[in-house]
Amino acid sequence: MQFLLSGGQACILYGGTEFSRDADIVVLLSDRNLDALQQVLRELDAEQIFLPSLDADALRRGHACHFRCRRPDASGIRLDIMSVLRGCAPFPTLWTRRTTIKLLGVGEVPVLSLRDLVQSKKTQRDKDWGHLRRLVEADYLTRKEGATESDVAWWLAELRTPSYLIELAASHPEAAAVMASRPWLAQVVTAGESAIREHLDDEERRIRADDRAYWAPLRRELEQMRHQR
Amino acid sequence: MANEPDRFIDEPEEWATMTPQERWTESATLWQLYLDMGGSLDPEPDSQSPFDFDEFQRAVPPVRRPGLHLVRRD
Repeated sequence: MQFLLSGGQACILYGGTEFSRDADIVVLLSDRNLDALQQVLRELDAEQIFLPSLDADALRRGHACHFRCRRPDASGIRLDIMSVLRGCAPFPTLWTRRTTIKLLGVGEVPVLSLRDLVQSKKTQRDKDWGHLRRLVEADYLTRKEGATESDVAWWLAELRTPSYLIELAASHPEAAAVMASRPWLAQVVTAGESAIREHLDDEERRIRADDRAYWAPLRRELEQMRHQR
Repeated sequence: MANEPDRFIDEPEEWATMTPQERWTESATLWQLYLDMGGSLDPEPDSQSPFDFDEFQRAVPPVRRPGLHLVRRD
């Protein structure tokens, strides 16, 4: 089965959180892969919880399909399955950018790349913004020595911690001055943390609104499914 | 948004510098502790979630709650 670990468990691996109560995966949409997924769900004795039912059309439209495992060694664990993540590349691209992490007792696990995971966390939910901030901080803290131009550009675009943004912009002023998605970075060193925080809050509000707009028709579909049951 | 701490405090910074394997192992320990203390795997009530429907919150019954005992009812 072709899948990528995403959500909270991926955040744990990248240092964005310590604990998650469920498992999220992104799967390739193909008949063969969905057959393999169904087989895995049978092996986990997984039951569908809530809507919609697992099918290619629902996944293609962006829905999540929710399951609870009943096999004794995984009893109660919730598994959320998606194929499309808002604002993220299609699965084949996500797959080529994946990180493979070898875990003792588990084996090699294909994980959504850090940058794609951060993108997927740009939602309307408070807890995702906490994860997002910590994911980028953890990457910055552990790799800022010897960073590439690409790393610096990504941190400038994604860091949400004023003091780290000031530190980074001070050490890479030319990169900060041309950051199109955050033009205010050009003055970030002298702006002060409260002004930076206002810019970050504006950015977050816009993205949250985009996410609510994206989910509005999908929620209407879920409402219809509930009434048709 | 504006009230979040600006930087990691010491413990999360330590978490950030651990390897993925170390974090996975520590999280598994937390998971076991959480279940042993009676923690629930129910979806968390979250009014911001696109799946914030009553039946979704109720969809998962409590599991493995050996540590959850009613001691006294006032």
